[in-house]
Amino acid sequence: MCVSGVCKMSSGQDLVVGLLLFTVAGIGMSLGALILGSFVRTKLPHPEKNSPYECGEPTIGTSWVQFDLRFYVVALVFLIFDIEVALFYPWAVVYAESGVAALWDMLFFFGVIVVGYLYLWRFGYLDWVRATGFYDARPARDKARDALGRAARQWS
Amino acid sequence: MSWIENRFEEGLIVTSLDWAINWGRRSSIWPMTFGLACCAIEMMAVGASRFDLDRFGAGAFRATPRQADLMIVAGTVTFKMASRVKRLYNQMPEPKYVIAMGACTIGGGPYFKHGYHVVKGVDLVVPVDIYVPGCPPRPEALIEGIMRLQDKIRNTTIARDRWSAAKDEALGAAPVAV
Repeated sequence: MCVSGVCKMSSGQDLVVGLLLFTVAGIGMSLGALILGSFVRTKLPHPEKNSPYECGEPTIGTSWVQFDLRFYVVALVFLIFDIEVALFYPWAVVYAESGVAALWDMLFFFGVIVVGYLYLWRFGYLDWVRATGFYDARPARDKARDALGRAARQWS
Repeated sequence: MSWIENRFEEGLIVTSLDWAINWGRRSSIWPMTFGLACCAIEMMAVGASRFDLDRFGAGAFRATPRQADLMIVAGTVTFKMASRVKRLYNQMPEPKYVIAMGACTIGGGPYFKHGYHVVKGVDLVVPVDIYVPGCPPRPEALIEGIMRLQDKIRNTTIARDRWSAAKDEALGAAPVAV
């Protein structure tokens, strides 16, 4: 707002202007560095330079492949038990002077993880080859009769 | 070659730019982690605290050629490794430099006569900038080699070279002085 020729911004406007200046300056500085660099830096791309780095070995295929999702669970389980083992070490060091309480503490902690482990085991996450579906190999007539029977039971 | 290189005649701006670019390049020579044989032990000593390569800005050993400026070929280059050396060199971005460290990389060394599996000098595979002799060279020798490489970088220029300038003159093009 302007009072007798002197303009003052409200704190809200001040904030917006500051944010705008900050954004413009930030974009400008990074763009400036990139543009300046493009004049000075050497750029000589060729297929071998652009090929994936495999410690100097010729690569087989591209690096953009779909990774098996089953590794995810394995990695997660490994991480949990790895940390568990790491936590055992300081516990083992102070075990002698801590007595029975430390034993129960660790048994509880271990028990929680064992429950998770049993869950994994029960629901087949430790099996590498898992059935994802059931293929009904019977003739179409038998399948239709079963489906009709199921529907009849549901609605009766 | 970059846009600015070999474009302008030598002048105050070009030489100042030269100074800045060369200062930046020679003060941050990042070597590639590249130990092939026993010389690598000395290279590790150079990187460690006793000799401390970081004083020269060259202590950041990179695990990928993409981030490396310098390939210290530290050790015997076998024929089996030579193709990998070449590929890794090709994967490094410009400007890139090579130091041949030790007798084996310079010219085969003790394997020169009977080493059927050894390349007789890594300069048969990649262009070498600095040769550091020794079997293996002392860490001080490798540091000396890196300092000579810094000298080499210090003397590079982005100005138009004499040959190109003479060609322009012959073709009647006016030189651009900056």
